[in-house]
Amino acid sequence: MSSVLEVRQVSKAYGRTDAVDSLNMDLAEHTIYGLLGRNGAGKTTFLNMITGGIFPDGGEIAVHGNLLKKGDVPTQTCYIREKNFYPNNARVRDVLQMAAAFHPDWDAKFASKLLGTFKLNPRKKMRQLSRGMESMVGNLIGLASRAPLTIFDEPVLGLDVLMRERFYRMLIEDYAEHPRTILLSTHLIDEIATVVEQVFIMESGSILMHEEVEQIRDRAHMISGLGAGLDHFLQGRRVIHGERYGNAGMAVVYGELTEHDHREAASQGLTIEGVPLQKFFAYLIEEGQTDE
Amino acid sequence: MPIPFDESRPIFQQIAERIEDDILNGTYAEEDQIISTTQFSRIFQINPATIVKGFGLLVNEDIIYKKRGLGMYVAVGAKEKIMAKRRERFYSDLVVKLLEEAEKLGMTTEDVIQMIQREKEEQRK
Repeated sequence: MSSVLEVRQVSKAYGRTDAVDSLNMDLAEHTIYGLLGRNGAGKTTFLNMITGGIFPDGGEIAVHGNLLKKGDVPTQTCYIREKNFYPNNARVRDVLQMAAAFHPDWDAKFASKLLGTFKLNPRKKMRQLSRGMESMVGNLIGLASRAPLTIFDEPVLGLDVLMRERFYRMLIEDYAEHPRTILLSTHLIDEIATVVEQVFIMESGSILMHEEVEQIRDRAHMISGLGAGLDHFLQGRRVIHGERYGNAGMAVVYGELTEHDHREAASQGLTIEGVPLQKFFAYLIEEGQTDE
Repeated sequence: MPIPFDESRPIFQQIAERIEDDILNGTYAEEDQIISTTQFSRIFQINPATIVKGFGLLVNEDIIYKKRGLGMYVAVGAKEKIMAKRRERFYSDLVVKLLEEAEKLGMTTEDVIQMIQREKEEQRK
Protein backbone atom coordinates (compact mmCIF):
# COMPACT_ATOMS: atom_id res chain seq x y z
CA MET A 1 0.00 0.00 0.00
CA SER A 2 1.45 3.36 -0.94
CA SER A 3 1.86 5.98 1.73
CA VAL A 4 -0.30 9.08 1.58
CA LEU A 5 1.51 10.91 4.36
CA GLU A 6 4.89 10.26 5.93
CA VAL A 7 6.01 12.38 8.85
CA ARG A 8 9.46 11.84 10.34
CA GLN A 9 10.65 13.41 13.59
CA VAL A 10 8.82 16.67 13.00
CA SER A 11 9.15 19.39 15.63
CA LYS A 12 7.94 22.92 16.08
CA ALA A 13 8.58 25.20 19.01
CA TYR A 14 7.03 28.53 19.87
CA GLY A 15 9.49 30.30 22.10
CA ARG A 16 10.39 27.76 24.74
CA THR A 17 7.36 25.52 24.37
CA ASP A 18 7.46 22.55 22.03
CA ALA A 19 4.10 22.61 20.26
CA VAL A 20 5.05 19.48 18.35
CA ASP A 21 7.91 17.28 19.50
CA SER A 22 9.68 14.72 17.22
CA LEU A 23 6.42 13.42 15.86
CA ASN A 24 6.11 10.47 13.47
CA MET A 25 3.02 9.55 11.51
CA ASP A 26 2.16 7.37 8.54
CA LEU A 27 -1.18 7.50 6.79
CA ALA A 28 -2.13 4.82 4.30
CA GLU A 29 -4.54 4.91 1.37
CA HIS A 30 -8.28 4.45 1.88
CA THR A 31 -8.47 4.82 5.63
CA ILE A 32 -10.28 7.19 7.97
CA TYR A 33 -8.08 8.28 10.85
CA GLY A 34 -8.88 10.19 14.00
CA LEU A 35 -6.39 12.60 15.54
CA LEU A 36 -7.49 12.90 19.13
CA GLY A 37 -6.28 15.17 21.83
CA ARG A 38 -7.30 17.93 24.15
CA ASN A 39 -7.27 21.57 23.16
CA GLY A 40 -3.65 22.71 23.14
CA ALA A 41 -2.21 19.23 22.53
CA GLY A 42 -0.59 20.49 19.31
CA LYS A 43 -3.07 19.11 16.80
CA THR A 44 -3.60 22.29 14.81
CA THR A 45 0.11 23.16 14.71
CA PHE A 46 0.76 19.69 13.36
CA LEU A 47 -1.99 19.99 10.73
CA ASN A 48 -0.68 23.39 9.65
CA MET A 49 2.73 21.81 9.08
CA ILE A 50 1.57 18.87 6.98
CA THR A 51 -0.49 21.22 4.82
CA GLY A 52 2.34 23.68 4.24
CA GLY A 53 0.98 26.56 6.33
CA ILE A 54 3.97 26.62 8.65
CA PHE A 55 7.37 25.05 8.23
CA PRO A 56 8.74 22.70 10.89
CA ASP A 57 11.92 23.47 12.86
CA GLY A 58 13.11 19.95 12.17
CA GLY A 59 12.08 16.70 10.54
CA GLU A 60 10.58 15.73 7.20
CA ILE A 61 7.10 15.59 5.75
CA ALA A 62 6.17 13.80 2.53
CA VAL A 63 2.67 14.00 1.05
CA HIS A 64 1.82 11.49 -1.68
CA GLY A 65 5.53 10.69 -1.83
CA ASN A 66 6.66 14.30 -2.40
CA LEU A 67 8.90 15.88 0.20
CA LEU A 68 7.39 19.15 1.38
CA LYS A 69 9.76 22.10 0.95
CA LYS A 70 9.43 25.53 2.49
CA GLY A 71 6.57 27.43 0.87
CA ASP A 72 5.13 24.29 -0.78
CA VAL A 73 1.46 23.52 -0.55
CA PRO A 74 0.85 19.78 -0.96
CA THR A 75 -1.13 18.70 -4.02
CA GLN A 76 -4.23 16.47 -3.90
CA THR A 77 -4.85 17.58 -0.37
CA CYS A 78 -7.82 19.40 1.09
CA TYR A 79 -7.47 21.00 4.51
CA ILE A 80 -10.57 22.31 6.23
CA ARG A 81 -9.49 24.52 9.09
CA GLU A 82 -11.39 25.00 12.28
CA LYS A 83 -11.67 28.67 11.38
CA ASN A 84 -12.42 29.46 7.76
CA PHE A 85 -10.74 32.34 5.98
CA TYR A 86 -13.29 32.90 3.25
CA PRO A 87 -13.86 36.46 2.05
CA ASN A 88 -16.76 37.96 4.00
CA ASN A 89 -18.43 39.51 1.01
CA ALA A 90 -18.27 36.40 -1.15
CA ARG A 91 -21.42 34.38 -1.61
CA VAL A 92 -21.51 30.72 -0.72
CA ARG A 93 -21.60 29.73 -4.41
CA ASP A 94 -18.51 31.90 -5.12
CA VAL A 95 -16.62 30.21 -2.31
CA LEU A 96 -17.56 26.82 -3.75
CA GLN A 97 -16.43 27.91 -7.20
CA MET A 98 -13.04 28.94 -5.80
CA ALA A 99 -12.72 25.61 -4.01
CA ALA A 100 -13.64 23.75 -7.20
CA ALA A 101 -10.76 25.45 -9.01
CA PHE A 102 -8.31 24.24 -6.35
CA HIS A 103 -9.37 20.61 -6.24
CA PRO A 104 -9.04 18.51 -9.39
CA ASP A 105 -11.34 15.76 -8.06
CA TRP A 106 -14.14 18.21 -7.18
CA ASP A 107 -17.63 16.80 -7.77
CA ALA A 108 -20.00 19.68 -8.60
CA LYS A 109 -23.10 17.48 -8.56
CA PHE A 110 -22.27 16.16 -5.13
CA ALA A 111 -21.56 19.72 -3.94
CA SER A 112 -25.01 20.92 -4.96
CA LYS A 113 -26.62 17.89 -3.35
CA LEU A 114 -24.76 18.74 -0.12
CA LEU A 115 -26.01 22.33 -0.24
CA GLY A 116 -29.48 20.88 0.18
CA THR A 117 -28.52 18.32 2.83
CA PHE A 118 -26.70 20.95 4.88
CA LYS A 119 -29.46 23.53 4.31
CA LEU A 120 -27.11 26.15 2.88
CA ASN A 121 -28.35 28.92 0.63
CA PRO A 122 -25.80 29.43 -2.17
CA ARG A 123 -26.86 33.05 -2.65
CA LYS A 124 -26.12 34.05 0.95
CA LYS A 125 -22.99 36.02 1.71
CA MET A 126 -20.44 34.41 4.01
CA ARG A 127 -20.80 37.18 6.60
CA GLN A 128 -24.54 36.46 6.81
CA LEU A 129 -23.92 32.91 7.95
CA SER A 130 -23.99 31.70 11.53
CA ARG A 131 -20.87 30.08 12.96
CA GLY A 132 -22.36 26.63 12.43
CA MET A 133 -23.36 27.33 8.83
CA GLU A 134 -19.90 28.66 8.10
CA SER A 135 -18.43 25.39 9.39
CA MET A 136 -20.82 23.49 7.16
CA VAL A 137 -19.54 25.37 4.11
CA GLY A 138 -16.06 24.14 5.03
CA ASN A 139 -17.31 20.60 5.60
CA LEU A 140 -19.10 20.67 2.26
CA ILE A 141 -15.86 21.68 0.53
CA GLY A 142 -13.96 18.93 2.31
CA LEU A 143 -16.42 16.30 1.15
CA ALA A 144 -16.98 17.55 -2.41
CA SER A 145 -13.23 17.97 -2.98
CA ARG A 146 -12.86 14.17 -2.91
CA ALA A 147 -9.17 14.92 -2.32
CA PRO A 148 -7.02 11.78 -1.87
CA LEU A 149 -5.95 13.33 1.46
CA THR A 150 -8.70 15.26 3.22
CA ILE A 151 -8.11 16.80 6.62
CA PHE A 152 -10.78 18.24 8.90
CA ASP A 153 -9.81 20.21 12.00
CA GLU A 154 -12.64 20.09 14.58
CA PRO A 155 -15.33 19.80 11.88
CA VAL A 156 -18.35 19.70 14.16
CA LEU A 157 -17.45 22.50 16.56
CA GLY A 158 -20.43 24.84 16.97
CA LEU A 159 -22.80 22.55 15.07
CA ASP A 160 -26.13 21.37 16.44
CA VAL A 161 -26.81 17.67 16.83
CA LEU A 162 -28.74 17.39 13.57
CA MET A 163 -25.96 18.94 11.49
CA ARG A 164 -23.27 16.84 13.19
CA GLU A 165 -25.27 13.77 12.36
CA ARG A 166 -25.68 14.85 8.74
CA PHE A 167 -21.99 15.58 8.35
CA TYR A 168 -20.93 12.16 9.69
CA ARG A 169 -23.58 10.43 7.61
CA MET A 170 -22.51 12.11 4.37
CA LEU A 171 -18.86 11.45 5.20
CA ILE A 172 -19.40 7.71 5.71
CA GLU A 173 -21.77 7.43 2.77
CA ASP A 174 -19.44 9.15 0.35
CA TYR A 175 -16.36 7.40 1.69
CA ALA A 176 -17.98 4.00 1.06
CA GLU A 177 -18.30 4.87 -2.62
CA HIS A 178 -15.17 6.99 -3.00
CA PRO A 179 -12.56 5.67 -0.57
CA ARG A 180 -9.75 8.08 0.25
CA THR A 181 -7.60 9.05 3.20
CA ILE A 182 -9.40 11.21 5.73
CA LEU A 183 -7.92 12.65 8.91
CA LEU A 184 -10.41 13.94 11.47
CA SER A 185 -8.90 16.02 14.22
CA THR A 186 -11.14 16.41 17.24
CA HIS A 187 -11.43 16.28 20.99
CA LEU A 188 -14.91 14.70 20.71
CA ILE A 189 -13.94 11.07 20.84
CA ASP A 190 -17.31 9.38 21.17
CA GLU A 191 -18.74 10.95 18.06
CA ILE A 192 -16.08 9.65 15.71
CA ALA A 193 -15.50 6.32 17.44
CA THR A 194 -17.42 4.25 14.90
CA VAL A 195 -16.50 6.42 11.92
CA VAL A 196 -12.72 6.15 12.13
CA GLU A 197 -10.69 3.00 11.65
CA GLN A 198 -7.53 4.07 13.46
CA VAL A 199 -6.71 6.75 15.98
CA PHE A 200 -3.66 8.76 16.93
CA ILE A 201 -3.85 10.09 20.45
CA MET A 202 -1.87 13.27 20.87
CA GLU A 203 -0.78 14.95 24.07
CA SER A 204 1.85 17.67 24.66
CA GLY A 205 3.02 17.56 21.05
CA SER A 206 3.62 13.80 20.91
CA ILE A 207 1.66 10.75 19.85
CA LEU A 208 0.76 8.74 22.96
CA MET A 209 -0.86 5.90 21.06
CA HIS A 210 -1.59 4.82 17.51
CA GLU A 211 -4.03 1.94 17.27
CA GLU A 212 -7.06 0.51 15.51
CA VAL A 213 -10.19 1.54 17.37
CA GLU A 214 -11.48 -2.04 17.35
CA GLN A 215 -8.19 -3.17 18.86
CA ILE A 216 -8.61 -0.70 21.71
CA ARG A 217 -12.15 -1.95 22.35
CA ASP A 218 -10.70 -5.44 22.52
CA ARG A 219 -7.75 -4.60 24.77
CA ALA A 220 -9.02 -2.00 27.21
CA HIS A 221 -10.38 -3.61 30.36
CA MET A 222 -11.55 -2.48 33.71
CA ILE A 223 -10.76 -4.94 36.47
CA SER A 224 -12.21 -4.66 39.93
CA GLY A 225 -12.24 -6.68 43.11
CA LEU A 226 -10.33 -7.12 46.34
CA GLY A 227 -6.95 -5.41 46.58
CA ALA A 228 -4.74 -8.47 47.20
CA GLY A 229 -6.11 -10.49 44.27
CA LEU A 230 -6.11 -7.39 42.12
CA ASP A 231 -2.43 -6.60 42.82
CA HIS A 232 -1.47 -10.13 41.92
CA PHE A 233 -3.44 -10.05 38.68
CA LEU A 234 -2.01 -6.69 37.63
CA GLN A 235 1.61 -7.84 37.84
CA GLY A 236 3.35 -7.45 34.49
CA ARG A 237 0.38 -5.75 32.86
CA ARG A 238 0.10 -2.24 31.48
CA VAL A 239 -1.96 -0.42 34.07
CA ILE A 240 -3.33 2.88 32.75
CA HIS A 241 -5.27 3.90 35.80
CA GLY A 242 -5.96 2.60 39.27
CA GLU A 243 -8.09 3.47 42.23
CA ARG A 244 -8.47 2.07 45.74
CA TYR A 245 -11.37 2.21 48.12
CA GLY A 246 -11.02 0.36 51.41
CA ASN A 247 -9.54 -3.05 50.67
CA ALA A 248 -11.11 -3.15 47.22
CA GLY A 249 -10.00 -1.41 44.06
CA MET A 250 -10.28 -1.06 40.33
CA ALA A 251 -7.73 -0.75 37.56
CA VAL A 252 -7.82 -0.02 33.86
CA VAL A 253 -5.39 -2.23 31.98
CA TYR A 254 -4.41 -2.33 28.34
CA GLY A 255 -3.56 -5.62 26.69
CA GLU A 256 -5.02 -8.85 25.45
CA LEU A 257 -6.58 -11.14 28.04
CA THR A 258 -6.46 -14.86 27.32
CA GLU A 259 -8.97 -17.52 28.38
CA HIS A 260 -6.48 -18.36 31.10
CA ASP A 261 -6.42 -14.75 32.33
CA HIS A 262 -10.20 -14.73 32.51
CA ARG A 263 -10.23 -17.94 34.56
CA GLU A 264 -7.52 -16.62 36.87
CA ALA A 265 -9.48 -13.41 37.42
CA ALA A 266 -12.66 -15.35 38.13
CA SER A 267 -10.89 -17.55 40.66
CA GLN A 268 -9.66 -14.41 42.47
CA GLY A 269 -13.19 -13.02 42.50
CA LEU A 270 -12.26 -10.22 40.10
CA THR A 271 -14.68 -8.81 37.55
CA ILE A 272 -13.56 -7.83 34.07
CA GLU A 273 -15.49 -5.27 32.08
CA GLY A 274 -14.97 -3.25 28.93
CA VAL A 275 -14.05 0.44 29.14
CA PRO A 276 -15.92 3.10 27.18
CA LEU A 277 -13.47 4.72 24.76
CA GLN A 278 -13.93 8.24 26.08
CA LYS A 279 -12.97 7.04 29.54
CA PHE A 280 -10.03 5.07 28.25
CA PHE A 281 -8.60 8.08 26.40
CA ALA A 282 -9.07 10.30 29.42
CA TYR A 283 -7.15 7.83 31.61
CA LEU A 284 -4.44 7.44 28.97
CA ILE A 285 -3.89 11.18 28.68
CA GLU A 286 -3.85 11.52 32.47
CA GLU A 287 -1.24 8.75 32.66
CA GLY A 288 0.86 10.57 30.03
CA GLN A 289 0.85 13.67 32.17
CA THR A 290 1.97 12.08 35.40
CA ASP A 291 4.94 10.68 33.47
CA GLU A 292 6.23 14.16 32.72
CA MET B 1 -26.16 9.13 16.94
CA PRO B 2 -27.70 5.81 15.91
CA ILE B 3 -25.29 3.47 17.63
CA PRO B 4 -27.09 0.47 19.07
CA PHE B 5 -23.73 -1.12 19.82
CA ASP B 6 -21.79 -1.60 23.00
CA GLU B 7 -18.87 0.79 22.63
CA SER B 8 -16.67 -1.08 25.07
CA ARG B 9 -16.19 -4.24 23.01
CA PRO B 10 -15.26 -4.75 19.34
CA ILE B 11 -18.08 -3.67 17.05
CA PHE B 12 -17.25 -6.12 14.26
CA GLN B 13 -18.20 -8.98 16.59
CA GLN B 14 -21.48 -7.29 17.42
CA ILE B 15 -22.18 -6.83 13.71
CA ALA B 16 -21.67 -10.56 13.15
CA GLU B 17 -23.97 -11.35 16.11
CA ARG B 18 -26.61 -9.04 14.72
CA ILE B 19 -26.64 -10.83 11.36
CA GLU B 20 -26.73 -14.17 13.21
CA ASP B 21 -29.73 -12.98 15.23
CA ASP B 22 -31.48 -12.02 12.00
CA ILE B 23 -30.87 -15.50 10.61
CA LEU B 24 -32.11 -17.13 13.83
CA ASN B 25 -35.31 -15.06 14.01
CA GLY B 26 -36.12 -15.64 10.36
CA THR B 27 -35.42 -12.15 8.99
CA TYR B 28 -33.12 -13.91 6.53
CA ALA B 29 -33.76 -17.41 5.21
CA GLU B 30 -31.13 -19.62 3.60
CA GLU B 31 -30.00 -18.28 0.24
CA ASP B 32 -31.42 -14.83 1.05
CA GLN B 33 -29.28 -11.84 0.28
CA ILE B 34 -28.28 -9.92 3.42
CA ILE B 35 -27.83 -6.17 3.83
CA SER B 36 -24.84 -4.79 1.92
CA THR B 37 -21.81 -3.40 3.72
CA THR B 38 -22.53 0.02 2.22
CA GLN B 39 -26.12 0.03 3.50
CA PHE B 40 -25.05 -1.23 6.91
CA SER B 41 -22.34 1.40 7.05
CA ARG B 42 -24.74 4.18 6.13
CA ILE B 43 -27.56 3.18 8.45
CA PHE B 44 -25.39 2.75 11.53
CA GLN B 45 -22.66 5.24 10.59
CA ILE B 46 -19.91 2.72 11.01
CA ASN B 47 -16.67 2.61 9.06
CA PRO B 48 -17.08 0.19 6.12
CA ALA B 49 -13.86 -1.63 7.08
CA THR B 50 -15.45 -2.60 10.41
CA ILE B 51 -18.50 -4.03 8.64
CA VAL B 52 -16.32 -5.97 6.19
CA LYS B 53 -14.47 -7.44 9.16
CA GLY B 54 -17.74 -8.46 10.84
CA PHE B 55 -19.03 -10.10 7.67
CA GLY B 56 -15.63 -11.77 7.30
CA LEU B 57 -16.16 -13.60 10.60
CA LEU B 58 -19.38 -15.11 9.22
CA VAL B 59 -17.79 -15.98 5.88
CA ASN B 60 -15.05 -17.89 7.71
CA GLU B 61 -17.66 -19.90 9.57
CA ASP B 62 -19.60 -20.64 6.35
CA ILE B 63 -22.64 -18.82 7.69
CA ILE B 64 -22.74 -16.39 4.78
CA TYR B 65 -20.99 -16.47 1.42
CA LYS B 66 -20.18 -14.02 -1.31
CA LYS B 67 -21.71 -14.13 -4.76
CA ARG B 68 -19.35 -12.26 -7.01
CA GLY B 69 -20.68 -8.88 -8.02
CA LEU B 70 -23.99 -9.47 -6.24
CA GLY B 71 -23.39 -9.41 -2.50
CA MET B 72 -23.55 -11.62 0.55
CA TYR B 73 -25.99 -14.53 0.90
CA VAL B 74 -27.02 -16.80 3.77
CA ALA B 75 -25.42 -20.24 3.37
CA VAL B 76 -27.39 -23.47 3.44
CA GLY B 77 -27.26 -24.88 6.98
CA ALA B 78 -26.39 -21.47 8.49
CA LYS B 79 -29.15 -21.58 11.06
CA GLU B 80 -28.05 -24.97 12.43
CA LYS B 81 -24.45 -23.79 12.63
CA ILE B 82 -25.43 -20.71 14.59
CA MET B 83 -27.66 -22.72 16.92
CA ALA B 84 -24.90 -25.26 17.62
CA LYS B 85 -22.44 -22.45 18.37
CA ARG B 86 -24.90 -20.63 20.60
CA ARG B 87 -25.79 -23.79 22.51
CA GLU B 88 -22.15 -24.19 23.42
CA ARG B 89 -22.02 -20.60 24.54
CA PHE B 90 -25.29 -21.05 26.43
CA TYR B 91 -23.52 -23.64 28.52
CA SER B 92 -20.32 -21.69 29.21
CA ASP B 93 -21.87 -18.22 29.52
CA LEU B 94 -25.15 -18.96 31.22
CA VAL B 95 -25.22 -22.39 32.86
CA VAL B 96 -21.76 -22.18 34.40
CA LYS B 97 -22.34 -18.61 35.62
CA LEU B 98 -25.79 -19.51 36.94
CA LEU B 99 -24.37 -22.29 39.09
CA GLU B 100 -21.46 -20.14 40.29
CA GLU B 101 -23.86 -17.42 41.40
CA ALA B 102 -26.13 -20.02 43.03
CA GLU B 103 -23.20 -21.36 45.00
CA LYS B 104 -22.29 -17.87 46.21
CA LEU B 105 -25.84 -17.53 47.50
CA GLY B 106 -25.76 -20.91 49.22
CA MET B 107 -28.23 -22.52 46.83
CA THR B 108 -27.97 -26.16 45.79
CA THR B 109 -28.27 -27.39 42.21
CA GLU B 110 -31.57 -28.95 43.30
CA ASP B 111 -32.87 -25.49 44.35
CA VAL B 112 -31.96 -24.10 40.95
CA ILE B 113 -33.68 -26.92 39.08
CA GLN B 114 -36.82 -26.45 41.15
CA MET B 115 -36.80 -22.73 40.38
CA ILE B 116 -36.53 -23.44 36.67
CA GLN B 117 -39.40 -25.91 36.82
CA ARG B 118 -41.54 -23.48 38.80
CA GLU B 119 -40.91 -20.74 36.25
CA LYS B 120 -41.76 -23.10 33.39
CA GLU B 121 -45.07 -23.96 35.05
CA GLU B 122 -45.85 -20.28 35.62
CA GLN B 123 -45.28 -19.64 31.94
CA ARG B 124 -47.60 -22.47 30.92
CA LYS B 125 -50.51 -21.00 32.87
